[in-house]
Formats: sequence, C-alpha cells, structure tokens
Amino acid sequence: MNSGIVENLINELSRLPGIGRKTAQRLSFFIIGMPKEDAVSIANAIIAIKENARFCRNCFNITEDETCSICLASRDKSKICVVEEPSNLIVIERTGIYKGLYHVLLGALSPIDGITPERLKINELVQRVKNGGVSEVIIATNPNTKGETTAQYISQILKPLGIKITRIAYGLPIGGDIEFADEVTLSKSLEGRKEM
Amino acid sequence: MLTKTESIVLKTRKYSEADLIVTCLTPDKGIISAFAKSPRKTRSRFGSSLEPLTHAKISLWGKEQSMPKITQSDIINSFHELRDNFHDFINMSKLSEILIALMPEAAPNKKIFSFFLSILALIKSSEEEPKDALFIIAQARLLAITGYAPRLKGCGKCGRKSQNFYPDSGAILCSKCASSQYVRLNEAPLKIADRTLGFYTHSIEWPIVTSRRLKPHKDTLTELSAVIDMHLKYLLNKKLHSSSFLAGTERE
Repeated sequence: MNSGIVENLINELSRLPGIGRKTAQRLSFFIIGMPKEDAVSIANAIIAIKENARFCRNCFNITEDETCSICLASRDKSKICVVEEPSNLIVIERTGIYKGLYHVLLGALSPIDGITPERLKINELVQRVKNGGVSEVIIATNPNTKGETTAQYISQILKPLGIKITRIAYGLPIGGDIEFADEVTLSKSLEGRKEM
Repeated sequence: MLTKTESIVLKTRKYSEADLIVTCLTPDKGIISAFAKSPRKTRSRFGSSLEPLTHAKISLWGKEQSMPKITQSDIINSFHELRDNFHDFINMSKLSEILIALMPEAAPNKKIFSFFLSILALIKSSEEEPKDALFIIAQARLLAITGYAPRLKGCGKCGRKSQNFYPDSGAILCSKCASSQYVRLNEAPLKIADRTLGFYTHSIEWPIVTSRRLKPHKDTLTELSAVIDMHLKYLLNKKLHSSSFLAGTERE
C-alpha cells in the first residue's frame, strides 16, 4: 500500500495516454529517486507549456509566440502542407525533405461525430490561399476514412482557386512484406505506382 | 471465449495512443462495440479492415458482459469506393448513424444485417450520380425495417386521405383526427405533396431493385428527406450529426 502522496502521483501519471497503472508506479518511484532539481525541472516544463503554449496565428502549430518558428523561418512560402495535428507536423519535419510551410487543421472531418468544416481550421486555410503567394497545397491528412474525407473536402473547396492540390501517396510501409498487405492498401499503391 | 462473426464497421473512435473502439453491425450479435489494439499503427495486422463500411470476418475475444477485443479481421468486401466518394460516404454515414440510434446494442437481427449489406453493394454498383434517390429510398426502408417508419399512407388514426404530417404522432393525420381531444400535437404539420407520398409508399413497398428505377423530381426528394429528418429529430430528440453535416456541405 502506497502513502497518500505516492498514490496521488501514480493516479495523476496514469491519466497520461499510454501510461497504465504499473508504468505510472514505476515512473513515480523513479521520480522519488531522482535529484530534486531534475524533478522540479520536469514539473516546471509542464507548467511552462500549459501557461505559454498557444496556436500560431498563421498555421495553428503550437508555439509560445504569436507566430511559430516555421512560419518565421526563410522557407518556401509557395507550398503549404496540410496536417491534422501538430504531432503530424513534427513527424514530417523530422524527414528533412519538406521545406515549405504548414497548416494544422486541429482535427479531421467526421459526419457521424458532428465534426463539421466549421470546427476545423479550414476557413483559415482558404483565407491563406486567397491572400496569394501559394502555388501548391499538399494534403497530408491521415490515410484513413476521416483523413480522406477531409482531403476530399479541402480539394473541393480549393479547386476553384486555381492552385495545384496534391495528396501524399498511399502505399506499403518500407520493410514490410506484400504478402501481409491488405487489399485496399495494395490496390491504392498499385494505382499510385511510379515509373522507374 | 473466442467467437467468430461477420461484421460491417459503422463507426470508429480513437482510444488511447493507437487503439480504436469499433462500433459494428453483426448478424448474430446485433450492434456491438469492440476494442482493437493498435490498428492505427502503420504496420498493424488489421490494415484497413477496421475502416468504416468494411465488411469483414472478425474474431472476438472476451466475456459476454464486457467489451470484447477484436483479435483478427479479414476483409470480405472493403467497399472503399464508397469512402472514396465524398457525397456517398456522408450519406452512408447518415444511414450508419440512423442504425446506431434506432437499433439497441446486442440485439441480433439478421434481416437488418442483410439489408445494410445489400445497400452497400447496391450503392457500390450504382453508376448514377448523384445517388440521392437511392439514399432516400435506403433511409425510408431502414426506418421501415427497424419498425420506426413514419405512417404516410392515409391518416394514422382513421386511414382517411390527408397530406398533413405531424411529427409528434409520426404520421399523417386528417383534420378531424388532428383536432380530436385525444391527440396532443405541439408541432405544426408539414403538408406533403401527393407525388412525395406516392414515392414514399413505393420506396418501402416495392423491392429495392424496382424502386431504385424510379426517377423522382428533385423537389420530391427534398420534401421526403425533410419529412424523414423531422421524424428522426422527434424520435431521437436531437438532430442527426450527419444531417447537419450534409446540409452544411450542400450549401457550399
């Protein structure tokens, strides 16, 4: 049986995604054993992000200033990559291939759950394109039904603006085996094949 | 206990980091919610088999009372063509939402399963665009098959001919019955055109392969859709999410 404050920490940590009670217990005892300044540093980092984090006024990425570092950097401003969540942006940035700007929708359309276009940052995207200087919008929403519905909707409303609209490719994960691919993934990757 | 069954995915909800709660229609268990571990990971063994509208053979593990876990899912028909068409997918979402709202959980009904599957196949094979008439027919038939169809063939009390639909009573009422002291009506009636009433009757009485050949006027479809939406709003005490979504995207 743990004492009140330990139990409290375990309960609080197990509220985090992917952290079960056992992991929370392990983390709690690790925190108890770590130097006080390290534990305070973790606590301060959590407080700082809750107090200072906000959405970039251009792209809705998470930032502590009005505008995020990506929007302020000298990048290819003619390209906008549309993603569902800030975490998707981080993964694309990690590839180091893309040098354009981003637009975070903060979700994906879902008719059955009542997630309508007004609840996402789609109007803001249209406005950015209308402001000029954008030649291509790359839609990088998730390759699932909600992401695909969102991509189709965005493509429909941006088409009249006369810019190039592209969708990230569908395909098989590298290192995988065709034998284990499902028919939809395989048919999409055949449709989107590239000439060698 | 391990059980195997066929299923049609109606809805999915993200759970935890990479898991899903899948709501699906099965022939022998009715509508069930099941847990799937990590299908959102790129190398998940589930692949796209848990995407909405997929018809698959699934294996469930768990006790009767608790939420079962999907341990395996093999696609029978992905129906991805319906997901790839924006308009079709929103309309199918509406049918799924109606079904989830009207059908109690874990109430097996093989007839409803076969009906839903046949609608998916019919819409997939249909080449007409838009498929509005087909979707309205499907909605009317789904209401009829679940036992919640509005009564639009004559007055719901006495059978006399009338055109005024009262959502409170879920039926058409003649002026005499509507003014009766035994009927309490709060909402104003909706006057329905004769051709709409005719189309509705054919939609639910004729075999779907016959009724789909009907070419109703656009106004007929708009009117019948309004009646169905009004009826559902009264039944469920709320507006369907997908109806609002559909109305919003059609305005643009």
